[in-house]
Amino acid sequence: MASNDLVVSVDRLTKKYGEFTALDDLSFTLERGHILGFIGPNGAGKTTTIKILVGLARPTSGSASIAGADCVRDARKIKRLVGFMPDKFGAYDNMRVNEYLDFFGAAFGIGRRKRAKRIDEVMEITGAAYMKDRYVSTLSHGMQQRIGIARTLLHDPEVLIFDEPANGLDPQARIEMRTLLLHLAEIGKTLIVTSHILPELSRICDTVAIITEGKLRAFGTLDEIVRQVGQRRMIDVLISEQSQLERARQILEATLGASAEVVVSVAEHAVRFRAGGTERELAEVLAKLVHEGISVSQFRELQTDLEEAFLTVTANKQVKQVDAAEALAATPGGEA
Amino acid sequence: MKNPIVEREFVGLLRTRKALAMQVCVALAFAALVVIRWPTDGLVDLSGEQSREVFQLFAYGLMATIVLLGPTFPASSIVSEKTRGTLALLLNSPMSAWSIFWGKWLGVLGFVLLLLVVSLPGAAACYTMGGVDLVRDIGGLYGVLLVVGLQYTALGLAVSCYANSTDSALRITYGIVLLASVLLLAPHYFFQGQPGIVSWLAEWARCISPVSAIMELLGHGDVGGLIAKKGVLPRFIGLGLLSTAGLVLTTVSRLNYSIFDRSRSAGNITDDRGLAMRTARRVFFLVDPQRRKRAIAWYTNAVMVKEFRSRRFGRSHWLLRLIAGCAVISLGLACISTVGVRNWGVEMIGGLMVTLQVLLIIILTPSLCASLISAERESGGWTLLQMTPLSPGAILRGKLYSAIATLLMALAATLPGYLAMVYIEPAMYEQVRQVLVCLALTAFFSISLSTLVSSFFDKTAVATTTAYVLLAGFCTGTLLIWLGRDAPFGQSTVQAALMLNPMAAALSVIGAPGFTQYDLVPANWWIVGAASMMMLAVLRYRVWRLTLPQ
Repeated sequence: MASNDLVVSVDRLTKKYGEFTALDDLSFTLERGHILGFIGPNGAGKTTTIKILVGLARPTSGSASIAGADCVRDARKIKRLVGFMPDKFGAYDNMRVNEYLDFFGAAFGIGRRKRAKRIDEVMEITGAAYMKDRYVSTLSHGMQQRIGIARTLLHDPEVLIFDEPANGLDPQARIEMRTLLLHLAEIGKTLIVTSHILPELSRICDTVAIITEGKLRAFGTLDEIVRQVGQRRMIDVLISEQSQLERARQILEATLGASAEVVVSVAEHAVRFRAGGTERELAEVLAKLVHEGISVSQFRELQTDLEEAFLTVTANKQVKQVDAAEALAATPGGEA
Repeated sequence: MKNPIVEREFVGLLRTRKALAMQVCVALAFAALVVIRWPTDGLVDLSGEQSREVFQLFAYGLMATIVLLGPTFPASSIVSEKTRGTLALLLNSPMSAWSIFWGKWLGVLGFVLLLLVVSLPGAAACYTMGGVDLVRDIGGLYGVLLVVGLQYTALGLAVSCYANSTDSALRITYGIVLLASVLLLAPHYFFQGQPGIVSWLAEWARCISPVSAIMELLGHGDVGGLIAKKGVLPRFIGLGLLSTAGLVLTTVSRLNYSIFDRSRSAGNITDDRGLAMRTARRVFFLVDPQRRKRAIAWYTNAVMVKEFRSRRFGRSHWLLRLIAGCAVISLGLACISTVGVRNWGVEMIGGLMVTLQVLLIIILTPSLCASLISAERESGGWTLLQMTPLSPGAILRGKLYSAIATLLMALAATLPGYLAMVYIEPAMYEQVRQVLVCLALTAFFSISLSTLVSSFFDKTAVATTTAYVLLAGFCTGTLLIWLGRDAPFGQSTVQAALMLNPMAAALSVIGAPGFTQYDLVPANWWIVGAASMMMLAVLRYRVWRLTLPQ
């Protein structure tokens, strides 16, 4: 893969506020057209990273660049390359949506005619055309988020950075937001999205970065992250005869030990356990069950979700920090 | 039963740095006043004249303190709870509207009482120096100020429960306070001694102001000083208590579901209505506020246009109304000056016009400028501006232009009065010209000060209050020293103090009574101009700092 496909590059980024270290040696890269889910508990350093990327904060050490422009030295260039939507909308009173977007378009120096056309385009993209004449401050939170995204698109930036775009949205608005973000990726934008709503992120992000206490704990695709954090797989065994459930549990505990955390679900006719072994070892477990006369109707691995991976990372602070080379290697298709 | 709101409001308020700073400043200011005038030689002033002069200054200063600081906390009390969402929790509790109101009122009244208590050592020192009666003078002063405290805190709460944001509540409250305490003195100034209902109404209107009550209490006579009518004090107390009761009832009647029962504005555009409606709106509105606006032109400052569009009274239709209002008042004054020139003289009318214009500047400027930067930072708009390629200079210029243009339009509308004056007395042309320079400098100074204040706060309410207190304090504070002219302050002290006050310079130029003996121009212009330029330079630096990455 050519290195000029790397749009975002963060290298050993450190930010200190007095004695407090908000970011500690953070490194990762992101390719064009990808959606990066940036997750971490409150105070983990997500917003600080974003602020440095968009030029609103300066790192204590390290560097960050977007499309080759240094986030500190080329601050003016960064403004044209990035569309940033902070967690606070920034509404102006008594202004209609069209006037609001017109102001930001003018602030970006877009000519009057081109601006009017562009406003129509971004409203179309975000599905906000019908709000054109509404007052910004009277819009619902979901509508304001759409206008916020429309604003970020006005100057046609390469990278879009959204801080908590799904925060406070109702389920319907959340689904619409998800569709919108996927559409933005489809039209070639590179997205960095922070969110606390992990199921939402796992559905849209092809790359995930988990950050706690200012350190990057995991980076890569969801599958890679599961591997990185050493998450054990959850195996679900469906048994057609309910009377065999207890027997199956005993066999699994005897074979895998207490660490397998075997659980019986009578209602679902299922036995679940955690396994850290290889495919071959799992095949042996299945063979053992069958050999013991257990009527197994299904033997499948349950999908480990982002929530579980996140909880594992945040619960286990001992997970080693991902360094720059690893992060680059973990980038889908990336090269170290 | 113990009211939990009283404790929370009062104790919570005392914990704020703002409240502590206010108490310390009040205590220090009054202590300094007494210390400066405390007798240091062996001679005793048996008549108590000197001590009475100090007491008069003390009384006016304390009144200004209560008038300026009293409404600050009540004006933000209910509306801030509403915007935070805690008012809904209170209304949802078993507490009645009366309990909530009492809790809030007693909480903010406690602070006003604390300000009065903090000033007691100063009053005691005045009493010790002699010449001041404990019951009539000190008791009377604190009685009047207690009524002022009751009235203005009730006013603040009433405005607060109707306002939609903290800064608008503060603006409206301060506007009403300045109107009630200063502007209502003007009609009496003009119409005193004349027969008819207008004179009678003007006489009652001035009884609403605590200034006339304190003047009577201190034996300073009547407003205008032409005809000294007694009986202001009981009328002030009666009207004060009556208006307080009305304000209390208004607030309590509002403390229910109706405070939240508002739908979002649909924001219908006139352009989308039928032809008849479109035509009618354009005729009746002159500048149709509901018309779809054109895109911002390349040659205009985008921030300036944004400021006009997003400001509640910044749209053309409101600006036209403001200008029309100012023009009507100015022409009214011109008419009065033509008719009443024999009674009062051009100088007195000119002095009144200057005072009214400065008041207009004091009322308008903080409401225009104190939110210019603080509101952006509070709403998160500043981050968005930072993310645009606009330079700090362009942002600041746009914001300042919007304030300057509005203020200039309002001031220009008040000029016909001066034209009438020059027509009556052509020799006054040079004086009027100098007055206009003074007014322009007052506006320049007010804009610089209020915008600079705005750049130091990220809460609009705090910035608005600070700007009002500083500006009003600057203009009235130096006038307090002028009130003590000849004694206790000498000619040179008063001259030096007035040198800092642009309003005093205008009054001295126009030859208003009491200001003729001071030579303030052009030194005052240099001082005010230099101070404004310095504030603008600091402001420019602050805006540049605010646009830098953290």
